[in-house]
Amino acid sequence: MKDSHRWALRSVVLIYLGILVGLPVVFMVIKAFSHGFPAFWNEITQPDALSALKLSLEVAAIAVPINTAVGVGAAILIARHNFVGKRFLDVIFDVPVAVSPVIIGVALVLAYSRVGWFGAPLAHWGINVLFSPLGIVFATAAVSLPYVLRSIVPVLYELGMDQEHAARTLGAGRLRIFWSVTLPAIRWAVLYGVTLTIARTLGEFGAVLVVSGNISGKTQTLPIYIFDSWDQRFDTLGTYSGALVLALLSMVALAVLALLRRRERKLRVDLA
Amino acid sequence: MPTTTPLPPTSHESAPLSASLAPCRSSRFSPPLLAGGGSALLVGYLSLIVLIPIAALISHGLSISVATHGAGLAFWRWHVLIGLKTFWSAVTASGAKEAIVLSLWLSLSVAAINSIMGVAIAWVLVRDKFIGKGLIEASIDLPFALPTIVAGVLLLAIYGVDSPIHVDLFETWMGLMLALLFVTLPFSVRAVQPVLASLDLESEDAARTLGAGGVRTFFTVVFPSLWPAVLGGFGLAFARAIGEFGSISLIAGGVGRTTVASNYIYNLTQGFLWTNAAAVSTALLVLSLVVLITTNVLSSRYQKRTL
Amino acid sequence: MSISLKHLSKRYGETHAVDDVNAEIRHGSLTAILGPSGSGKSTLLKLISGLERPDEGTVEIDGADVTSVDTRHRDIGFCFQSYAPFRHMNVAKNIGFGLKVRKRPASDIDKRVKELLALVKLEGKENNYPAQLSGGERQRMALARALAIEPRVLLLDEPFGALDAVVRLELRQWLKELHHQLPVTTVLVTHDQQEAMEVADQLIVMRSGRVVQSGNPLALYESPATSFVHEFLGPSTIFGGVVTRPHDLELVAVHHAEVKGRITKIVSLGFEAQVTVELNDGTTTWVQLSRNEISTMGLRVALLVGVRRRDDADA
Repeated sequence: MKDSHRWALRSVVLIYLGILVGLPVVFMVIKAFSHGFPAFWNEITQPDALSALKLSLEVAAIAVPINTAVGVGAAILIARHNFVGKRFLDVIFDVPVAVSPVIIGVALVLAYSRVGWFGAPLAHWGINVLFSPLGIVFATAAVSLPYVLRSIVPVLYELGMDQEHAARTLGAGRLRIFWSVTLPAIRWAVLYGVTLTIARTLGEFGAVLVVSGNISGKTQTLPIYIFDSWDQRFDTLGTYSGALVLALLSMVALAVLALLRRRERKLRVDLA
Repeated sequence: MPTTTPLPPTSHESAPLSASLAPCRSSRFSPPLLAGGGSALLVGYLSLIVLIPIAALISHGLSISVATHGAGLAFWRWHVLIGLKTFWSAVTASGAKEAIVLSLWLSLSVAAINSIMGVAIAWVLVRDKFIGKGLIEASIDLPFALPTIVAGVLLLAIYGVDSPIHVDLFETWMGLMLALLFVTLPFSVRAVQPVLASLDLESEDAARTLGAGGVRTFFTVVFPSLWPAVLGGFGLAFARAIGEFGSISLIAGGVGRTTVASNYIYNLTQGFLWTNAAAVSTALLVLSLVVLITTNVLSSRYQKRTL
Repeated sequence: MSISLKHLSKRYGETHAVDDVNAEIRHGSLTAILGPSGSGKSTLLKLISGLERPDEGTVEIDGADVTSVDTRHRDIGFCFQSYAPFRHMNVAKNIGFGLKVRKRPASDIDKRVKELLALVKLEGKENNYPAQLSGGERQRMALARALAIEPRVLLLDEPFGALDAVVRLELRQWLKELHHQLPVTTVLVTHDQQEAMEVADQLIVMRSGRVVQSGNPLALYESPATSFVHEFLGPSTIFGGVVTRPHDLELVAVHHAEVKGRITKIVSLGFEAQVTVELNDGTTTWVQLSRNEISTMGLRVALLVGVRRRDDADA
């Protein structure tokens, strides 16, 4: 490629990314610390902010393990078995990502709240899905459903069944094969999927907004809190500070993902 | 019904989902937990989280009601009514029409722009070498890992009312576009990158020896192999853009010219107009599914697999 | 441990991968199942191992019917073309896996692993991971792993297929010596007839899911039952309407033979040459000669020659 062309392309790309990604990141950091670090710290240790963070983490602590177990189980079903409805099972996992989070929120409300199908009977048993942490768990679990599965399935395919067969000839039972052979082989992929799930869980906004009713202190997750700071309280410092914390958490997730990707790439090359 | 993979960040793999359903022999040595009970739990969970809500959504959206005539629950006595009139009036209500149209053309434009820029960025990442390339590689994933509300705050920080560079895009279409370009960027890049990386450089060299210049080589040699992936990326970016909520909710401001479909639906829920919300949601759902499935079918059909 | 296969059949959809196969494998022998790709040989091996179940027929090991016995109880060792190493375990743990499953005490496992490492010449590599080994080393590790459980039968599915030529030759020899040392009944699947001829003392030739011929390798080479076997086991040409070995033919002066023809091509392969002759009746045959013979007879393209069988010479 001609040198002048190369530089032209590079410039276009760099300018585009600079405007789109670079600038906003820099300025958000500036805005968050615009009144100095003490003010920043004060903002993010507000009781409402802290309880929002707490709720986010609690919801993640429930949704992530469930979706991990579901992801691993369904991955084995898809990658190691043939059955009627396999395609359908596969499609279900794509719905949460193809669909707007607001729509997912509306769907959940129309299924489980008093306005919808099961709200009345559920309320009769004391279960309230709308305007409660339970609804937030539902919404969060729904939107973060497929990440573990999608990370694992290609790896399971690529792995092939030879190792599992070898273990069988050596006398291993099915549980042992899973534990000693399959699981260790997919552990980085699982970790990758879990990291993505955590990032998605902590950051979910639209679906939770619709489902939670946005009651400050009780049903606010961190993203909702950030929105609330801007939308209701016009508290710009609060908004930027909260956003920065969430951004930092996702940077950590990104770094972990990049590291895992590099490790997996190395593994592949070694065993090519 | 072929579907797409929603995971762009793995730059070494972004095969469309139909590839992931490669035929396999059934294994007799999978863990026993999955037989019977485990599968039932799985199906139950998925129904709870996805199937039932979506069914409820469509049922309310299309005002589907089931009446029985005569006694007894035998299904041949069921009479299914679909309230298309209600659906249609909700979808064409003032505000609804505008929001849907806005979402539609915004998403199409954004997907188109990022499809082009995606190729350019992927090219630089795959074929070029310079210091700081790693930083760019990482920054591509940023919009994907970043919570949408944070993205909204980010964009507001620089293009909002008190913008430090005096560019006020609050309550403008340009502002919405920037937000959508930001969040759909990774999908476009990651769809193309692995395909570009696996292209056989020799065909391009051959073209050059035959006298073709850079641009000609690109369009006659590279692009034919690349376009299925670009199309796939377009579909993913479109689906993401049309459903995007968090990042545009801040820069869109109040109700008005800059209300997109997802925002409109949210406003409906705040007003407890659930049937209308369901109707517009169903319309949006169908729209994004149609585009997604079409682009996925086309792209996987024409995707040349490199062995 | 002898193996007895009776009327084995396995279908995948419409195709018969294995079609009514009957075979006897002698105790302590090294048997090669030989055939082109798609002949069903790998499937047959998998049926013996239990990794696949037959649609019809029985598998007997040492007289006992094991058709419905699960793989893990058949006491067989299996080596895959892909080696199937447990990537996340080191060499020692790989080899010791089967013993660990059988709950042997750790000290026993250590001892046995050391013995096997010496046997397959991988001493010093016990802490390495498969990714750090060469292809040949990985296969030797796989073999050690299979032998660790003292199997009654050893099954090898194209074990050297993924290795390059030199390593393949080395490992072939090494396998033969290993079999002398440890005469476990071994069944080897291969598409390489040279490998089969060199290593096996019993040959089963398969095609399209059926056994075409079986027996001693040399016997099959010299008395092939069909032209397929003839062609598969060695170089072939047609002479006098019969499928013949090119080195069983010779070229002589035109008036010394009944069949005459003209040389159309001479391909030199180092110490040997392949001479293509277009015969008077329009057919083409080729003869394998040594370089000496070519120069002694002054053979060149377009020369008229006589072609006859070597054993007719003294007639």
